[in-house]
Amino acid sequence: MDTELLLGIGRFLLATTLLLLLTVPTAFVIIQMELKVIARMNLRLGPNRVGPGGLFQSTIHGFKVLAKEDTIPDQADNTTFTLAPWMVYMAAAMSMIVMPFAPGAIAADFSIGIVYFFAVIGLSVVGLLVAGWASYNKYSLLGGLRSAAQMVSYEIPLTLSVVGAVVLAGTLSFSELIGWQREHGWLFIWQPVGLVIFYIASLAEINRTPFDMIEADSELVAGPFTEYSGMRFGFFFFAEYVALFIMSGILISLFFGGWLAPWPFPAQLDGFAGTLWGILWFFLKTYIFVFVAVWLRATLPRVRVDQLMGMAWKVMLPIALVNLFITAIVVVVFDL
Amino acid sequence: MRLLTERLGSRARDLWTDEDTVEIQVDGAANVEVLRTLRDDPDLEFFFLTDAGAVDYGIDAHFEVVYHLFSWKHPAWLRVRARVRRDDPRIPTVTDLWEGAMFHEREMYDMMGIVFEGNRDLRRIYMSPDYRSFPQRRDFVLPDDAADSAAAGVNPLERPETWDLERFRQAPGVTFPPSEFRPDAPAEGPPSGVQDGRTLADKSRPR
Amino acid sequence: MTTTERPQPIPDPIDLDRAEEARLRTAAGLSLSVTQRRGEYAGFEDIGLPDRPPQTEREAEVYTLDEGEMLLNMGPQHPSTHGVMRLVVKLRGEVIVDIDPVLGYLHRGIEKLCENATYTTVMTYVDPMDYLAVMHNEHAPAMAFEKLYGIEAPKRAEYIRALVVELERVASHGLMMGFLSLDMGGLTPILYAFINRDEVVDLLSAISGQRMLFNFFRIGGVNWDVNDEFLSRLGTWRSHVLKNIEMNEHLITDNEIFRGRTIGMGVLSGRDAIALGVSGPNLRASGVAFDVRKAHPYSIYRELEFDLITQESGDVYARYLQRIAEIKQSIHLIDQIIDRMPHGPVQAQVPGIVRPRPGRAYAAVESPRGLYSVYAISDGGPTPYRFRMRDPSFISLQALPKLMPGHLVADTMAVMASFDPVMGGVDK
Repeated sequence: MDTELLLGIGRFLLATTLLLLLTVPTAFVIIQMELKVIARMNLRLGPNRVGPGGLFQSTIHGFKVLAKEDTIPDQADNTTFTLAPWMVYMAAAMSMIVMPFAPGAIAADFSIGIVYFFAVIGLSVVGLLVAGWASYNKYSLLGGLRSAAQMVSYEIPLTLSVVGAVVLAGTLSFSELIGWQREHGWLFIWQPVGLVIFYIASLAEINRTPFDMIEADSELVAGPFTEYSGMRFGFFFFAEYVALFIMSGILISLFFGGWLAPWPFPAQLDGFAGTLWGILWFFLKTYIFVFVAVWLRATLPRVRVDQLMGMAWKVMLPIALVNLFITAIVVVVFDL
Repeated sequence: MRLLTERLGSRARDLWTDEDTVEIQVDGAANVEVLRTLRDDPDLEFFFLTDAGAVDYGIDAHFEVVYHLFSWKHPAWLRVRARVRRDDPRIPTVTDLWEGAMFHEREMYDMMGIVFEGNRDLRRIYMSPDYRSFPQRRDFVLPDDAADSAAAGVNPLERPETWDLERFRQAPGVTFPPSEFRPDAPAEGPPSGVQDGRTLADKSRPR
Repeated sequence: MTTTERPQPIPDPIDLDRAEEARLRTAAGLSLSVTQRRGEYAGFEDIGLPDRPPQTEREAEVYTLDEGEMLLNMGPQHPSTHGVMRLVVKLRGEVIVDIDPVLGYLHRGIEKLCENATYTTVMTYVDPMDYLAVMHNEHAPAMAFEKLYGIEAPKRAEYIRALVVELERVASHGLMMGFLSLDMGGLTPILYAFINRDEVVDLLSAISGQRMLFNFFRIGGVNWDVNDEFLSRLGTWRSHVLKNIEMNEHLITDNEIFRGRTIGMGVLSGRDAIALGVSGPNLRASGVAFDVRKAHPYSIYRELEFDLITQESGDVYARYLQRIAEIKQSIHLIDQIIDRMPHGPVQAQVPGIVRPRPGRAYAAVESPRGLYSVYAISDGGPTPYRFRMRDPSFISLQALPKLMPGHLVADTMAVMASFDPVMGGVDK
């Protein structure tokens, strides 16, 4: 066997293991942010007893979720009921392998990384739909159908908003896109409309407020997750926050320079220091956008399902298309 | 108000007024006509039904359905007391005049057992649908094991020797409203926990 | 000696209970419950539905399912049905076709309890009815009993009554703002509303000693006079309340998502509202200028000047705006009351009068939810002969089956929150 192939497989396995290990602490950190940040925005304290200043609250939540009784409804379909959380989590985990953390620190640097990403992130729809159906519960069914409709509708503006950036950069690979941004400036200047559409569609795609009506707990208890308890619910819960992290990471990779440092700093260093530098800036920028998402959750009420759909198809899709056409025309005319 | 005697004629009896309320009494069967006149007559115009409640005047006496009305043109509340027989408590419904009387009538049916003829939805509203008794009646007795409890006797309702079950047993029950939807409904009777004038207190364990 | 027989399986206790229940039900002549009839054609779905044939026309109408319809139980345990209420919703997909509120989960038999309670004890019984606007619950019986006793509360007592009543109104309406937003997913305004309510509740605890169920009114006045603590807290509160309210409503009123979800929803026309018996801010938001404080003035409202505010559209947004306007109006009223409060006793002298004369009395007040009235009959004894309360939330719930069909499930909560029912009052 090829040593290169073996080394490649070994590297890939190591990378995916590290990524999977990364997801859980990420989820913990983001949940902790939600607890404390939303609490402060609500003029209350948030958890402050577990650990110094309440820092370990979400970790304990994670362990608590492991300790809960695992119930399956009597007439639920066991196989699909069990598979649903895996599907959602795997969609998130699989899409992480193309996330550009640092130059050379991408688990799988596909040349069609962007296409791969959007293809895989849509698999979570299947998981939610299956969860809704397999629970044998009308609330879950309603939630699952709502989520399928919502996520499928918003995938189109999501992908279309990115195509403008792709056309400009001329590449579908994340690392090359970031390389283009290093030379020509960050893409949010070139594609502001694309950025806005992408941000809104990404929030809708990962079911964050103001688009979280599938888990609208004032109407449908917990949507497709109603019958899930214990670690199964934990999977869904983590998957949502990991997806938030992933979407923010992709957002900054596409529009805000990925691992590049902003102006006064050197954009990219070499070698191991370069990797660390890239990781630092990547996480910093990602968490800024995660914070914005949490901020939106604290502030905005929920959009209703039909208004959501109307917005996706009647507003965002046309704008994304127009953006794409204009970008394409500009690229051809100015021969960029 | 003199207007009332004019418009309602002989149907309104026993006018009574103080500075705040005017009260008339009508017979049960005439309540819809009276209320309709009160509502539609341009000088009276009692457009708002503020309250509809029921009073039980005792086992030997009658029920009363009491309506309170409001009009812009008259400063006082108008109280219409409609007398209903106790042994056959039926009275026409006013839901044709005010849809909001529906819940009032359901409550009166639930609590007192007054049947509103013509009401499309005469179900129990507070108690569970298979409840057999009418809680706000004067002779309502809850046969539970309160008699055996250590605190028995504090409240007269808890002392069985004060219950006049003779009259309770003899009071005929009210059947569910006759409708095509329940042709074979069981006849209403005393609740299942009362037998031979004694309550079926549970002696199976010490209290 | 061992036998080759298998040992008798120990029956599971839950099977024993089920068998016992089945036996008791059959003995009592009741039908078996749905779970016991599983496998037999029951004709109905077994999710929270009546397990017996429909008893009334309306019941048949609601619980008969056409093609593509389903029944969803927004059950008594639900994060936001304002208490324990069950809404059986008939859905076609996501669109509501019919709705049937099932009440009684919080029924405590207060009316019957009050027949065994002395006139002073009745004040404690009526407190937990509408537990968010407690002073109004006490105001109406106090007025009714004063008519029966034939005594009048002194002026200062009336002013204090009006003061606490308007304070309670501010707190309650502010809370409605919060709940409306919470039911739509906004997590923040509810906490701001509770801050406002907390301030008012601290204020009222300085005067009555309780934070929620005040037991403050007496027949012939109020229990305690204002004290320094109350006045100082009132001053602090008054200095920042308008700013707070405006800050809070700023978060919601111009929010595009909120407006998109509330404008045009649950439109109640004025004439429907009157026919349904809806009163209070809900009625005024539909354009009918009916306020008990103006229509049949009680207490000192004849001497206070305030405008009657109405809104034209009867939708959820209008009901929300109406309540905000009423908060400001109440603050204006509080200012007038504080200015004009006379000196004097706070409780009428009722020496030796324990029992009222036989008679009937009716008193209605304007509670934050509508017209709350008490009809009391006295027979000369120490306890009322009949004590009937008419709660506005109870009657407003009848509007739901009228308004909801055609909207989506998500709007149920918005419309219900806009009517601001409190289950304690609904179920008495």
